[in-house]
Amino acid sequence: MADPSKTDDSERIFSELLSPSELFAARSRSRKLPVRGQKDFYPSGCAQQKQRLQNSLDEHWELVSEERVERLGNLVRGIWNPSDQIVELQSPAGKFWQTMGFSADGKQCLQPEEALYLMECGNLQVFHRDLPLSIQEGYETFLSSSQLSLQQYQVFGHLKRLGYVVSRFHASLVPSLYERQLNLPPSRDRGANQLKRKRSPSPEATATVASSPRPSEKQEDSSNPSSAQDKATNHSQPSAAQQPPADDDVTGRCWWSDGLVPPEQQQDGGPSPAGPNSRWDFLSIQFPDLGARDTPGPLAPPDPALLPGAMAVGVCSVSSWLRRLNTWREKQPGGKQRRRREEEEERARRRTGPDREVQGCRSWAEYRRIMERRRKGSRRSDSRPAHLWEKDVTPLHDPRQGTSTAELLEKISVVKPSRWADKSCSVEAVGTWQISFDVHQPAVNTEFRKSSPGMPYSRMCVCSFDGPVPALGELQHVSQQSGDVPVTMAVVDHGDISFYTFKHFLLPCDLPQ
Amino acid sequence: MDATPTAELTSTPGQHVVEPLQDGGGGHSTSRRPDPLIGIHLCGSTALVWRTADVRAAREAGVVGSLVGALPRQPRQNGRLGRPLQLGLEELRLLLEKQASGDDIESSAPNSEGEVQQAETECYEEEQRSSFEAQSILALEERKSALLRAMGGAKQGGGTSQPDGGVSGRLEVLDQSFVFPRSAVAVQLRTARAGLSHCSDERTLLSAAQPGSSQRAPRSESRFQVFRDLRQRGYYITSAGKFGGDFLVYPGDPLRFHAHFIAVCVALDEQLPLVDVLAVARLGSNVKKTVLLCSPGGPTAPVHYTSLQWSGMV
Repeated sequence: MADPSKTDDSERIFSELLSPSELFAARSRSRKLPVRGQKDFYPSGCAQQKQRLQNSLDEHWELVSEERVERLGNLVRGIWNPSDQIVELQSPAGKFWQTMGFSADGKQCLQPEEALYLMECGNLQVFHRDLPLSIQEGYETFLSSSQLSLQQYQVFGHLKRLGYVVSRFHASLVPSLYERQLNLPPSRDRGANQLKRKRSPSPEATATVASSPRPSEKQEDSSNPSSAQDKATNHSQPSAAQQPPADDDVTGRCWWSDGLVPPEQQQDGGPSPAGPNSRWDFLSIQFPDLGARDTPGPLAPPDPALLPGAMAVGVCSVSSWLRRLNTWREKQPGGKQRRRREEEEERARRRTGPDREVQGCRSWAEYRRIMERRRKGSRRSDSRPAHLWEKDVTPLHDPRQGTSTAELLEKISVVKPSRWADKSCSVEAVGTWQISFDVHQPAVNTEFRKSSPGMPYSRMCVCSFDGPVPALGELQHVSQQSGDVPVTMAVVDHGDISFYTFKHFLLPCDLPQ
Repeated sequence: MDATPTAELTSTPGQHVVEPLQDGGGGHSTSRRPDPLIGIHLCGSTALVWRTADVRAAREAGVVGSLVGALPRQPRQNGRLGRPLQLGLEELRLLLEKQASGDDIESSAPNSEGEVQQAETECYEEEQRSSFEAQSILALEERKSALLRAMGGAKQGGGTSQPDGGVSGRLEVLDQSFVFPRSAVAVQLRTARAGLSHCSDERTLLSAAQPGSSQRAPRSESRFQVFRDLRQRGYYITSAGKFGGDFLVYPGDPLRFHAHFIAVCVALDEQLPLVDVLAVARLGSNVKKTVLLCSPGGPTAPVHYTSLQWSGMV
């Protein structure tokens, strides 16, 4: 309902537009925040208080009404892409590129929440249909999708202003325990490229598992057409070992193998693979174990179907090769001293005899105790009170048996402490609680690279005080999704954010160690 | 304003809701000012106020809200935040209620995008050009005055009086050779959207009825009644999630005064376990505020207040 008869000036004030002189004068604006004074307890109505209130209010309005003015040279230009919901940068990115943004199709791009944060900081100007977006339009355009809500953006902005590096959480990118044990070197194109791959439907992994080792194997066989039998077996073994690592490659880059397979086949000139069905069933192909203790005897010729071309192989006698095989025991680390120690222990064991208990005692005092106990036990076998031990229900513990406090406590404990991450006590997982962000420590202190960010400091789950407290099942589900990284709940209450985290706690057990 | 439209809440993103404001609710002035409009925009399901004038008007109506954006002066800190102002549900409802009822429906039909786009782009580019020219003139003048100041200072200090021709000569050189680089021009990054009907993608819908008033949860209904009652008594109210209550009640403007009460909304006939009462009383005594249990009687009945004070038996 705008009054159509507004003058230019009042319209300018209404739409908060700065004149060129104001823009020019804004270069020398103060950058300091006024310090807030002490608050009063009760409004007494005196003039002094009113004056102070008015001063505070004036200061407040001055701060709130200030508009962002930046040098055009300091602004990075970006364009909003509504179909992909990202912002593409048109001019080179500034210092923020170290921790934010990703590359796609050769262009530098930003996620909408990163772009909005940079707009609020005054580093980025986003254009849509050739017009710059105001902060309000940024909020309404970027935060209206289902991907990001206003509350999530508030948490994002809060953490970024504190200095943390915040990125979106993707459940598929959490490395499993096995992957971390393998300690694979980080692949070069992680990040958005991998995300884009995961988003697009990937071809069947099973089809390519079989086809990828085949080219390597065929290459090996064709390179040694006239090799002897043992050379063929030796080559088959490493190519079989190649299969597991190829598996790992395949699951990450399964859409490449389709392109790789045909050229290598053309090199061989051999029969082309029959589609997704593998000709090689490694479970039925026998690889003789020549290092086994009992000599296998002469080796039978292999299945002619496994050999390339028209090779005919007869029976192979392996006796001469067995003599050359190294059948000595492997040298253990530690060398001679360790071997000498082990031999001594062997001899000691032979001396004391087969009694395991006696073997296990380390001193003469223990040995004497054991002998004493045995003598006593054989004498006092009938001294247990009959009314206790002869009935159906016997005492839990015989006091004459030596046992430690820990075992005793274990026997009488009724409720066993459980770790909440135990699968055995997991409740139905409900999917309403989602992890939103990964939070890394500020990039100044640690070595942070976008390509290999490392383990995050924490993962954020955004909620509000209006909603329910998470149930145990939901907490377990979320912490399982997060792997080893602790999950923090960020509770948003009208712009005020509180952080809560659940820590695992075991009741202390006072036991002599 | 003769016909004042009422407003409707929907959850379309970016929905523009505008309604007029009657007198300032604080009861400070009795003179009737022309009704200022408060522009409230929905982002998702949250009501935000973007323009400074609207934020001021809301404050004068007694609605404090909370600032949630980055402050332009220092955007990388969390101590003081800037626009937009986020309104809670009760605050929004209060602002919407402070209006005369009317059943005008006003909608701006979406203009053909091509024409409006073209016009706006040209307008924007023209603005940038004129701003650049004005700023280069200002920069040149500033350089000249700086030069004059330097020359004047040298004159006094040096003792040897330079002929005026030298000064004007230098000024002429400056005039000819001065170039204001395009990258040095100052550009404004607007906070609020330009104009009311700028974005042609939206429709501004104002209708008479507020939807869902009968379907509102009883809890939010009781919260609003408590809010309205406290506001009418002249208190300023903000949210108190961190304190374990519903509202924080200030005797005056929150900028200058500490909160006195933590208001917890409880239904009159609700049975509270004693443990809960103890918990909330303990919370309040820890932060030196009195806990207020507020129970609205009904839509028109007065609200009953019970205060909890921790005292010992001496």
